[in-house]
Amino acid sequence: MSLTTTKAANAGLHGVVAASLLRYGLILALIVVFAIFSAITPTFLTLTNLQSVLVNNFPLLAIISIAMTFAVASGGIDLSVGTAMDFASFAFVSLVLAGQPVAIAALAGLAAGALVGAFNALLISVIGVSPFLATLGTLFIGRSVQQLLTNGGNPVYLPPNGVPEVFRFLGHGTLAGFPVPLAIAIIIAVATAVMFVHTRFGRITLSIGIQPSVVRYSGIAAPAYIAATFVLVGLIAAVGGLILTATVTVYIPSSGNAFLLNAIGATFIGTTLSPLGRPNVGGTILGVLLLSIVANGLLLTDLNFYWQQVGTGTLIFAVLALSFINRKAGSGA
Amino acid sequence: MSAEAEFAPSGFSSVERSGRSAGNIAAAALRFGSLIAFAAILIVFSITAPYFLSVGNIGNVLGQSAISGVLAIGLTIVLIAGGSNVVTGGIDLSLAANMGLSAAVYASLTQLGYGDAVAIAASILTGSLIGLVNAIAVVYAGIVPLLATLAVMNIVAGLELVLTGNTVIPASTPILSALSASDPFGIPVLAYVLIDFTVLATAVVQYTPLGLRLYAIGEFPDAARAAGLPLRRLLAGAFIASGVCGGLAGILSVSYLSGSTTGSGEMLLPVVVTALLGSVFPRRLVPTITGTLLSALLVGFLSNGFQLLNISSTLVSGIQGLLILIVVSATTLLRRQEA
Amino acid sequence: MTVIPLKQPSTLQQDVIRLEGIVKGFGGAQALAGASLVVRRGTIHGLVGQNGAGKSTLIKLLAGLHQPDGGRIEIEGQAFDRLTPHLAEELGIHFIHQDRLLVPTFTVGEALFLGREPRIAGTPFLDRRLMQRRAAEILNDYFGVRLPNTALIGDLSTAEKQIVQITRALLNQPKVLVFDEPTAALVRREADILFRLIRRLRDEGVTIIYISHYLNEIEQLCDHVTVLRNGQDVASSPISETSAAAIARLMVERDIQDMFPKPVVALGDEILKVEQLSAPGKYEDVSFTLRRGEVLGLTGLLGSGAKELVRTLFGLEKPASGRIDIGGRPAHLSNPTQATGRNVALVPEDRRRHGIALDLSVKENTSLSSLDRFTRFGFLDRKSEQREVDALIARLQVKASGRDALLRTLSGGNQQKVAIAKWLSRHSEVYLLDEPTVGVDIGSKVEIYTLIGELAARGAGVIVLSSDLPELIGITDRILVFFRGRVVREFASSEATADRVLAESTGSPEGQRHVG
Repeated sequence: MSLTTTKAANAGLHGVVAASLLRYGLILALIVVFAIFSAITPTFLTLTNLQSVLVNNFPLLAIISIAMTFAVASGGIDLSVGTAMDFASFAFVSLVLAGQPVAIAALAGLAAGALVGAFNALLISVIGVSPFLATLGTLFIGRSVQQLLTNGGNPVYLPPNGVPEVFRFLGHGTLAGFPVPLAIAIIIAVATAVMFVHTRFGRITLSIGIQPSVVRYSGIAAPAYIAATFVLVGLIAAVGGLILTATVTVYIPSSGNAFLLNAIGATFIGTTLSPLGRPNVGGTILGVLLLSIVANGLLLTDLNFYWQQVGTGTLIFAVLALSFINRKAGSGA
Repeated sequence: MSAEAEFAPSGFSSVERSGRSAGNIAAAALRFGSLIAFAAILIVFSITAPYFLSVGNIGNVLGQSAISGVLAIGLTIVLIAGGSNVVTGGIDLSLAANMGLSAAVYASLTQLGYGDAVAIAASILTGSLIGLVNAIAVVYAGIVPLLATLAVMNIVAGLELVLTGNTVIPASTPILSALSASDPFGIPVLAYVLIDFTVLATAVVQYTPLGLRLYAIGEFPDAARAAGLPLRRLLAGAFIASGVCGGLAGILSVSYLSGSTTGSGEMLLPVVVTALLGSVFPRRLVPTITGTLLSALLVGFLSNGFQLLNISSTLVSGIQGLLILIVVSATTLLRRQEA
Repeated sequence: MTVIPLKQPSTLQQDVIRLEGIVKGFGGAQALAGASLVVRRGTIHGLVGQNGAGKSTLIKLLAGLHQPDGGRIEIEGQAFDRLTPHLAEELGIHFIHQDRLLVPTFTVGEALFLGREPRIAGTPFLDRRLMQRRAAEILNDYFGVRLPNTALIGDLSTAEKQIVQITRALLNQPKVLVFDEPTAALVRREADILFRLIRRLRDEGVTIIYISHYLNEIEQLCDHVTVLRNGQDVASSPISETSAAAIARLMVERDIQDMFPKPVVALGDEILKVEQLSAPGKYEDVSFTLRRGEVLGLTGLLGSGAKELVRTLFGLEKPASGRIDIGGRPAHLSNPTQATGRNVALVPEDRRRHGIALDLSVKENTSLSSLDRFTRFGFLDRKSEQREVDALIARLQVKASGRDALLRTLSGGNQQKVAIAKWLSRHSEVYLLDEPTVGVDIGSKVEIYTLIGELAARGAGVIVLSSDLPELIGITDRILVFFRGRVVREFASSEATADRVLAESTGSPEGQRHVG
């Protein structure tokens, strides 16, 4: 009896040690990366550069990664976050060009993103397709629809003088000293972090992601929550789409997909950082920071521009490997 | 001996059986439905575009499908060995990027003055190394295949960009020209390559003990373990085989496009669709090499038909997306009905 | 004619298998506490014991799937520290598992030869025709069964799959064949064929270990029997020197006698009424009532329909006909949400999959089914949630480092208390407890029994499904015995004895009952 309990305790202890090693290892890695970049590029550790990371790279990826965090927290994944961005962007640009007020156009954009999410929700919760396949299908169809709508993929520009002032503000203005995109990202991060921890919806979504069968056996209609999660993912991604459009004043078909892998990477970095191994907004934000800083640092070095992708890819790969090896060790197999 | 009568299920088990035959009917409906849909597509196109069913055009479609066909066969092997659950089971998202990098390696080496032999060996080596990385990540580090191969895809695509600087690297060698030529009947050599490769893969996967074991580890790992099969080694082998297919497709793509070009990532989704779609054709509704060939041809004929009818090729991607969802929804609903 | 040449014994050892003083524990629960099993060559050796007595652990040790914490393993006179699946196979020990390990999309031939596939001479290719022919020969010779060449495993009946599984083992030329509950899913006729085969195998020199709940089968088939109880062997004797009744008594005797603290509760209104409920193939024509304050016991073997009935009451399965009333109003339970909406609670048998989430905390598990109570405008009132959880932890004496401890870190008994606490937090009125003490240590068991009594005392109706008969008799007021889909007997618990209930549930009283 005592023998087996000690064994179990050891396995638990081992898991805890491994998990904390991993977490501190990641933070250490961040510091090392930081040090290397400051050493080899003079401009890296300057206020302007770090500001530019926060203003340019960070907000959009943060918003999309938060959306992804919800999908992963519910036990799934959403490969169509880019599609929701694109649809939001397209709806917005089209309505503005048609002379509609910005508010109406923005609402329509959000609705378009939510609609993409609702389509996923239908496939996943009603029909029972796995989230990966459902959102993959949505990604495909979305790409085709966009090309049809744009005569084979031509960008739709907002006329430079026709951009409403409100819209310029959304892309380039400041709010209480913060650039508006950054302010919006912070608001969404705080709101969703509260949602995860302090609402019934957040609690149930996380529980579904951890063990859906128990949620069902507790009398909770899990499919409804999963459906709501995917609609929410589409909605948050749509906010990202609007900000992207506001910044560049153009809608480029299928441009949202560029964020997909980094959003997945950031979400899993965040999951790895969490002591319980759960997807969480704070961790995701740290993941986004890490990825943005690495991307910026690589950009500043004299290395070939394309090494950036290899670098971030390798980083994400390493984090995934660590996280899964650790999970295997933690489960005491 | 009236053995069958003696063993005729009675009472409780007979109920089970009638439930099962309903499932069988639905499965047959799905299978024949997809075959009929395939035939209908062919008929519609051949009526509206008279050239459609000519030998030359069929050869064309085969040739055009060669690259995606070889990739889809690689993916099929991973689907077989990894199981049908896409998230936890088998998937290799790095295949298209693998093809791109292998092609870039080939083209770069010929630019540097190396011969075909070196370039071919290097491409295949590149492909198998990528497969090896996937295998280690999935089998030994235990990363979910979906995530592991997604990350590898990004690294490989980045390496391709580093190598090519995002430009087209032209390549022209005797073997490449031979591969991209047509025979006296106007049928592209690539068509023969696809057929030969399918025959080879079919022989290994459908007709050897190795193939049977791949199915066993994918569909019912516990049964495979009970039969004493080395699960990890077999699964790792499947990922490496898929990597080799990526390298091979790279060579074909260099010949087809007379060089390495950017945008290989665009191939990924059609390849995934092709491989997933392939499992609706066989009797057992499992992924098979021949099923994948059929679905590669279906997708090939679709885009070819649209071209002939002057319908925007952009529709093809949407139709592929719809096909995925229809097939997956149908099989999901079917399984639920059987359960 | 023998189709398969069987290996002749290579040594003259009389005992093929000697397991002595085997000890094995799982996270605090002792599954085996010095169990021994000695099997003689060329005999059919029965292994019996209640659920949790340690049978399956002992067998998994023999299969190399578990490693012992202590004890001796000797096979054919050769001592081993531990076995591996590969080693077990090399030693000629093969298993007919309860869950049939066959790939559903394989043909019979493919499933039979997986791992040892014949090739066409001189080629690397599978000889499918040889596989089919040999499969047909063996199936016909041993079982008198003909299956179509193209039949897939998934299309076969349970009995046919079982036959394929046995044939697979025969192809390995086994020295020892272990059958784990082989007849649980078979009808009488099929079981008879199986018995003939087992005797024939013994006569051909194979040693058989036969595990079953059906004591009449043990009596009829085996040469020798070993009885396990609480992880130890309590008896081992030739079958001629014992009887089914004696075995039953040995199985159910307890170390702790006064562990069933059943309070006397006055019965209240009828809270659940089941009328002529039927689900073809699962259960037929089941009717009963449950009153507030009452603890009703259900028991039956695997496939007897008792478990399916419990699942139906929680909305997990649909009945074909009949009606269910809860609190005097008809209930349509087509999913668990509707069942919990009518204040029905289920503590499921598979605790780690359905009852609790190992990676959620005590608090998160406890409040999961009652979050509505702690929610204002969508926001959780974490104070009142914590208060309720802390109160339940104290009341149920859940031993955990705190409300935020993950369930993974709790013992089985404490996990089970959380699985019950979750419904207390919801104020459920009808409790369905499915094998509530499986994998629970003795101390926690008594606490759970006390809790069940308390539930009844507070006016809830409780249904306990259990195959632990002394437990069932000790904590219930009435017991319904299921056999082959029907309620065959109702006992007042005060008049029931474990061997009488066992006899009813194994169909061994007055003749062989059999629905078909």
